[in-house]
Amino acid sequence: MTQPFDVSQPSASAVPSASAVPDGSAAPGSIMPRLRVLVVLPMYGGSLPIGRYCVDALRDLGHVVEAFEAPSFLGAFTALKDLKVTADRLEFLENSFLQVVSQAVLAKVETFGPDLVLCLAQAPLNHQALKRLRRDNVATAMWFVEDHKVFTYWRAFAPFYDVFAVIQRAPLLDELAAMGVRDALYLPMAALPSFHKALELSPVDQRRYGADVAFLGAGYPNRRVAFRQLVHLDFKIWGTEWDGEPLLARHVQQGGARVSAEDSVKIYNASRINLNLHSSIQSRTLVTGGDFVNPRTFELASIGAFQLVDRRSLMDELFAEDELAIFDSMDGLTAAIAHYLAHPEERQAMAARAQARVLAEHTYQHRMRTLLEFIAQRRPGWPAPRAADAGLPADLPEDMRRDLAALLDRLGLPADAAFADVVTALRQHSGQLTPLETSLLFLDEWRRQYA
Amino acid sequence: MAKHLVIQLARFGDLVQTKRLILSLLNGEGADGGGTHGAGPGHAVVPAPEVHPSGVPPSEVHLPEVHLAVDASLAELARLVYPGVTVHGVRAHGGIPQADVLAHNAHAFATLAAERFDTVYNLNNSGLNMALAALFPPDAVRGYRSLNGQPLRDRWMRMAFRWVTHRRLSPVNLVDFWAALAPRPIAPARVNPIALRGGRGIGVVLAGRMSRRSLPPDALAACLRAVFEGLGGPRVTFFGTRAERPLLRKVLDHLPASVAGNYDDLVGRTGWADLADALVGLDTLLTPDTGTMHLAAHLGVPVQGFFLSSAWCHETGPYGPGHRVWQATLDCLPCLEVRPCPIGVQCLDAFRSREFLSFLSGRPGDRNPPGMLGMVSTLDDVGSTWLTVFGDDPSAPRRVELRALVGEYLGLFTGEELADHDLARLLYHEADWMLPGPEGAAFAPFDPFADEPLRSA
Repeated sequence: MTQPFDVSQPSASAVPSASAVPDGSAAPGSIMPRLRVLVVLPMYGGSLPIGRYCVDALRDLGHVVEAFEAPSFLGAFTALKDLKVTADRLEFLENSFLQVVSQAVLAKVETFGPDLVLCLAQAPLNHQALKRLRRDNVATAMWFVEDHKVFTYWRAFAPFYDVFAVIQRAPLLDELAAMGVRDALYLPMAALPSFHKALELSPVDQRRYGADVAFLGAGYPNRRVAFRQLVHLDFKIWGTEWDGEPLLARHVQQGGARVSAEDSVKIYNASRINLNLHSSIQSRTLVTGGDFVNPRTFELASIGAFQLVDRRSLMDELFAEDELAIFDSMDGLTAAIAHYLAHPEERQAMAARAQARVLAEHTYQHRMRTLLEFIAQRRPGWPAPRAADAGLPADLPEDMRRDLAALLDRLGLPADAAFADVVTALRQHSGQLTPLETSLLFLDEWRRQYA
Repeated sequence: MAKHLVIQLARFGDLVQTKRLILSLLNGEGADGGGTHGAGPGHAVVPAPEVHPSGVPPSEVHLPEVHLAVDASLAELARLVYPGVTVHGVRAHGGIPQADVLAHNAHAFATLAAERFDTVYNLNNSGLNMALAALFPPDAVRGYRSLNGQPLRDRWMRMAFRWVTHRRLSPVNLVDFWAALAPRPIAPARVNPIALRGGRGIGVVLAGRMSRRSLPPDALAACLRAVFEGLGGPRVTFFGTRAERPLLRKVLDHLPASVAGNYDDLVGRTGWADLADALVGLDTLLTPDTGTMHLAAHLGVPVQGFFLSSAWCHETGPYGPGHRVWQATLDCLPCLEVRPCPIGVQCLDAFRSREFLSFLSGRPGDRNPPGMLGMVSTLDDVGSTWLTVFGDDPSAPRRVELRALVGEYLGLFTGEELADHDLARLLYHEADWMLPGPEGAAFAPFDPFADEPLRSA
């Protein structure tokens, strides 16, 4: 005889509507069943941290998540590039390497059995693998967190995903529809409040990271030209690609080194005015008025840090007029800097309003919930019902029940987690296991043989 | 002031076809000055402005310094075509003693190394170019580079290798292909003058370097005679190398006295400057796909190009408005010159047809010439291209769509209404986005979120 894996209330089900729930459980605070999601991270680039935020957000929503750590494979790619063979042979090997990585994703799918494979832009899942997943009825989604006008290769793979989420609206959504991508949705960027949050900085950190005006980001041509007008200020520039700018050199921090995400939160916290100028490769139009809103906008707001941000066409539907200080031109930027440096109370009020908006509507948790609900709406019968979870043996002694509760807490699982999810979480752990953890894995194997 | 080097180690025609790239580099990169920012295709190529973006009078703008490395035999031509460019002769071709090759090149390469170029545009897919690339920091090289001894092709070069497996769809002229390596290519209309008749008669190029794509004497003579009649019997000038003098004799044997007695023989008798002088002012130049053809286009001389066998006008047709090309269209074209033709070069037949010769003489009949496309050159945002005047080109719709995809990749078009994702898969391969770019760090500035701080796993 077995019982649900609810170590706190063994006789009660936490499931709102058990008939709709594949394994008899649901994500807390959601009508969405508890899902198993495999997040395929890219090997490199700006979409990588966003993928990690998605992992955290999905876990926060109560889903069982595994990340496919594609960056771990980058070393092999680097080794290929050091072979000193012909360019033809190298390109053949690169393609073969990508086949192997895609096969690794498929193997992970086979073992983990996800309800959804969520890929971030540049994720190494080739079209043969996507075809295989479609054949096996495993839902796939791509969150293409890129500018489709720059990363034009989306055309080559979009039709292979079941769901294609993008950060721009027209004409991209129309173009996706024209090429047969039925299930595309607009899913703007967001913040992760557990990470992008207000910090109490030490005086040393405040001095180190603080400034009247700060910018964190790469030295795109429009930023280089724009910031030449700010050199009279207490102005710190953080980030890479700022070399060759004599006027800005004394403002560039840490020799133009890449800034860690942890340090970025400190910088945002420490700066009176955070500049947020969307990047452009054009230097004549400093404020480009593009459409999508960058992650920095949401991150700064989530922290409660004040920002001056350039206007974007999709901004109005994300923030109210009094939640962001927006500039349309360089004159507007310089005037706003002078104004807001002189009015700290206005800065604080506006930052607080932006923070409230992000916490209410623009977290990665919101985005993941929207994505999952979209998939559920578009894919009747998704997620497919799973075999009933075997649960734990009944009548466990009270002390073991307490130990299990502590273990679930440590694993970040809810008290009513399915046995299979607990086993999955344990298998993800590296290093030596405790006797209790080992006995759970042992029980899983024992059941495979005898139950 | 930025300093750039272009390495063009191929032949006469390739050197002239490097023009848009070189002019673009000479024109400068805008107010940002030099450096590696904004380099390369795929990253919103912005047409260069007519005036310097800084608003500073041209005389006061410090324009980039451009150097050009070519085979030593072409150095004089390079100086002629590209005044204002510093030309470096490299012993790349020819049967000169190896000791001379070594000594000359050691000196030339020392000179190049000392220049400390900001950017090196290495244009040819050859071992010679890869070897020379090792002289420069890999991050500074575009096109074909060497990274710790590993030859690498930039993404743009890789893309070309993909579409040349479907040459009928070749979407970009070689001039524009190389120019797209520049951060800010000049407008196509600024490359060559509009070709106009100059009143100095007909020029005839006897043959190209690859014989199968040249017309044999009887066919060339028939074409010349038709054009001669159509233009009212102007003076004729023959061009070619010394090795082609016997060919001239054979052509003359097929011509009537009205032509054979009214010509200038410059075959094997011109240096580069003489050749250019003789081309200037011609009414038209009859030629297969040759270096002389590209030089004529450079000078604004109207070309009538005979394209057959391995020659494909969408790749190497004369650049700029005002030219005509007669393109053979058998299903096997364009073929590989190095492979024997199993059908006896039947694509030649189109150039012997009565309909074609009537067309050339200015008296087109009711029927279009069979097995051939008649095309006139034109310009669009990508560069030089061709309008079909007669003939059926079933490849055209897909080629046009692929060109639009390339235009989108270059940031020239928005790409709306492109729905053929098979073509997108021809252009883009998974390694393009799943792996860090072959351009290395140069790719990063174009990732909108590349400046997202790294977060540890």
